[in-house]
Amino acid sequence: MKILTLRFTFFLLPAVMLLSSQLAIASQDSVMERIQAADLPFDNTQVESTHQLSEKTVLVKESYQGGAFRVLARKDSISRYRCSVCHTKKIPPVNDGALITHGDITINHGEGKNELACIECHDPKDRDFLVDMQGQKIDFDHSYQLCGQCHFRPKRDWLGGAHGKRVTYWAGERVVMNCTSCHDPHSPAFKTKMPETYSLPLDE
Amino acid sequence: MTTNPKKGLVVFISDCIRWSLSGGVAFKIYLAVLLAMIGAGVYAYGHQFREGLIITGMSNIVSWGLYISNFTFFVGVAAAAVMLILPAYVYKDKDFHEVVIIGECVAVGALVMCLLFITVDMGGPLKVWHMIPGIGLFNWPSSILTWDVLVLNGYLALNSLVPLYILYSYYNEREPVGWKYMPFVFLSIFWAVSIHMVTAFLYQGLPARPFWNNPLLGPRFLASAFAAGPAVIMMVLIAIKETTKYPIDTTIFFKLKRIIVVSAIINLVMLFSEVFKEFYAFTHHSLSAQYLFFGLDGHDSLVPWIWTAISLNILGTLLFAFAPKKSNSSYLMVAGVSLFTGIWIEKGFGLIIPGLVPSPMGEVVDYAPSSNEILITLGVLAVGILVVTLLIKPALVILLKYKEGRLQPETASS
Amino acid sequence: MDHGKKKDTPLKAAGVMKNKCSRRSFLKGVSIAAAAGSAGLVTGGCGSTASSEEMGLKWEEFFKKNYRLMTQEEKDATVTRLERLAKLQRGLDVQMSTQEPINDVLYGYAFNITRCKGYMDCVEACVQENNLDRQSKTQYIRIFEMDTGQLDPTSGDGKYFHEVPVEDKFYMGVQCYHCENAPCIQACPTKATWREPDGIVVVDYDWCIGCRYCMAACPYWGRRFNWGEPVVPKEEINTKQHYLGNRMRMKGVMEKCTFCIQRTRQGKLPACVDSCPTGSRVFGNLLDPDSEIRFVLKNKKVFRFKEELGTDPKFWYFMD
Repeated sequence: MKILTLRFTFFLLPAVMLLSSQLAIASQDSVMERIQAADLPFDNTQVESTHQLSEKTVLVKESYQGGAFRVLARKDSISRYRCSVCHTKKIPPVNDGALITHGDITINHGEGKNELACIECHDPKDRDFLVDMQGQKIDFDHSYQLCGQCHFRPKRDWLGGAHGKRVTYWAGERVVMNCTSCHDPHSPAFKTKMPETYSLPLDE
Repeated sequence: MTTNPKKGLVVFISDCIRWSLSGGVAFKIYLAVLLAMIGAGVYAYGHQFREGLIITGMSNIVSWGLYISNFTFFVGVAAAAVMLILPAYVYKDKDFHEVVIIGECVAVGALVMCLLFITVDMGGPLKVWHMIPGIGLFNWPSSILTWDVLVLNGYLALNSLVPLYILYSYYNEREPVGWKYMPFVFLSIFWAVSIHMVTAFLYQGLPARPFWNNPLLGPRFLASAFAAGPAVIMMVLIAIKETTKYPIDTTIFFKLKRIIVVSAIINLVMLFSEVFKEFYAFTHHSLSAQYLFFGLDGHDSLVPWIWTAISLNILGTLLFAFAPKKSNSSYLMVAGVSLFTGIWIEKGFGLIIPGLVPSPMGEVVDYAPSSNEILITLGVLAVGILVVTLLIKPALVILLKYKEGRLQPETASS
Repeated sequence: MDHGKKKDTPLKAAGVMKNKCSRRSFLKGVSIAAAAGSAGLVTGGCGSTASSEEMGLKWEEFFKKNYRLMTQEEKDATVTRLERLAKLQRGLDVQMSTQEPINDVLYGYAFNITRCKGYMDCVEACVQENNLDRQSKTQYIRIFEMDTGQLDPTSGDGKYFHEVPVEDKFYMGVQCYHCENAPCIQACPTKATWREPDGIVVVDYDWCIGCRYCMAACPYWGRRFNWGEPVVPKEEINTKQHYLGNRMRMKGVMEKCTFCIQRTRQGKLPACVDSCPTGSRVFGNLLDPDSEIRFVLKNKKVFRFKEELGTDPKFWYFMD
């Protein structure tokens, strides 16, 4: 009788523990299962707090998997736009030549002998625009069309969202940074610099 | 019942208090030392309560330290009372029957220490009511901690109420009625195993910590508990034999020694099994063991401790295994202290700290308890020893008087 | 303190063992007395400089329920109390939100280990946004500088401070991964941590008892503990707060990354994603098939850290 009680209770405890833990796990789907089951588009308008951005944006000429989206405009941040103010049919007269004739720009785009020349991107016939390899004009606000010629993989990723960055919101209308928001077009690689902060050793 | 229960209980308690506090000068000094240690611990805890756990040596990597290490070890000591209960009640061993209540007193003291260690380790001890089902939320059965809360408190209740009933019966010169307490005794046998397995499962159930996440941890806890616990009980019995008139037959020591030797050898076999698994094919999961035994990335503060522990463990096992038939108290005391200390190190911070180092992201830090932490730990240890003393003293008086066949509540204590 | 009660109760309780009703009421009385005593300690702990209004607010805060069990009125009441306490204690006007999760949203996160240059803008932005303790330099995000040829952060260096990026090294950021099958949620004895319907694993700071079991259970070192009272300079405190997110914490409780719940539930990106200068971090709604995060999962080779543990994290790593 005593042994029977002992045996019964010895098996009862692990059985209860096992059953209860199984019940806890069995009731939820894994993340991938939930993702695969979710094929209806998300209604972005239900997120009410996304506000209009203060920066100027333009509608992108290509679409992504969710349709149309916008990109930050560029022209407003170019200090001496419009270029055609100086770059007319005549050679522009300049007083502070060294300063104004883009002497501050070093081209660090393309390695060694493959360094890009200015006119490979800038339209020599119309300085207010960029130009692609087919000779078609590209607006400064849509520079992604230019960069995407060579950098077609990052461009595909940028369209989808794996490259670049969204501006402020994950919900609401999609506004992304353009190429030049992060990459200086004349020297696009990121510089080395000191980190913003540091982490303490963990036993202090 | 012949006596009026309510009156009898009050007189019983007041007599017990009287007996527990009376004694010679040496005893009073012993009490004073314990109270001083408790006082220092309370003072240090006040500091910790105000400033937070930042005054300990714990960090976001080694998030459990001296407190939980001691908790882990002393749950084992508490569980080991079953090693007296089983032969005494199930096998009706006469010798064990004499000393089983002493074992239960030691278990109560150890459990009080465990509950205190958890309390001082918590960041918000005042919020512990959050766990009470009904007014709080109790994450049972998912969280092993909730199982631990249940089994520890249940075991405390079992181990205090059953001896209380038996002693109260003896106090009233009656045999305790079998069916009233025997079911609880059997429950406590199973419960003792479960408190230590559940405590082991606290660590064993965490796949984040590969040092702990192995199936051998639970059985290993039992083996080391049944070696260290009876060693503690043996030391207490020796102390009682040397300092009081309570008769303790030396065959008890012989029988306890057998239990200790078997458990200690099984413990060593399990240790060997763990060491083999860690070091035969070295994986990233073995980094914790490397940190413990050999040091990692220049951090080697635990290395001298673990090797001392293993040496003491082996020494204690050998001393017990090859003890001469008529071994005297000093020999047994040395063997007991050696084994106890070895297991205390190895199962205490020799288990908890390496489980947390390296961090789950691979970072290695050292841990050293602060002086506040050590004072609080010593204070809790002193509370445990005090509880054991204050419970055993009246228990011995009652047992002696019952055996001698006379019991007058007004008589002065022995 | 408590241990005194523990010594007496078994002996006293035996006397009332036969009378179940009185034992229950006795224990109830003891626990109420203990709770009242504790609450007294809590309010008494303010010190003599605290006003009686502050003590009253703290008293009420001590007895409140777990956030999940609160009605909307109770949530509003506790927010009012906490905002008032912030005003009294720090002289700050905070706006604390209890905003509910957005429907049909499950947040997911992806980290590009080709693009990360180790600049640690994310770490600093997180510290600023979430009011992390400046004294202990608590950081939810850790960036590892890794040797090429290995992928395990255990071989990386999390403590670098030199010009980055270093050649032949790559950078990997870790933080709480908001697992769908989180071991920390299973481990918590008081249900102080849980997963919200939008997937964020949160902590009710006032409910946490500080046992640190969740910290032992987390395989990714995602959780932090407030060992001391957290300190943030007044002018740096972010006053736009969420109850489950970046409100000021107290000593003795756990905290962790909340995917900037105060921002994401308003449709904004978390601070780490928003501040990354290289665009290495992608965040969005996993249940929206047109989202960027879904694009990454579909078109890139992604992996999750320690996937074999079955934690089902919602944080993926990918390479260009």
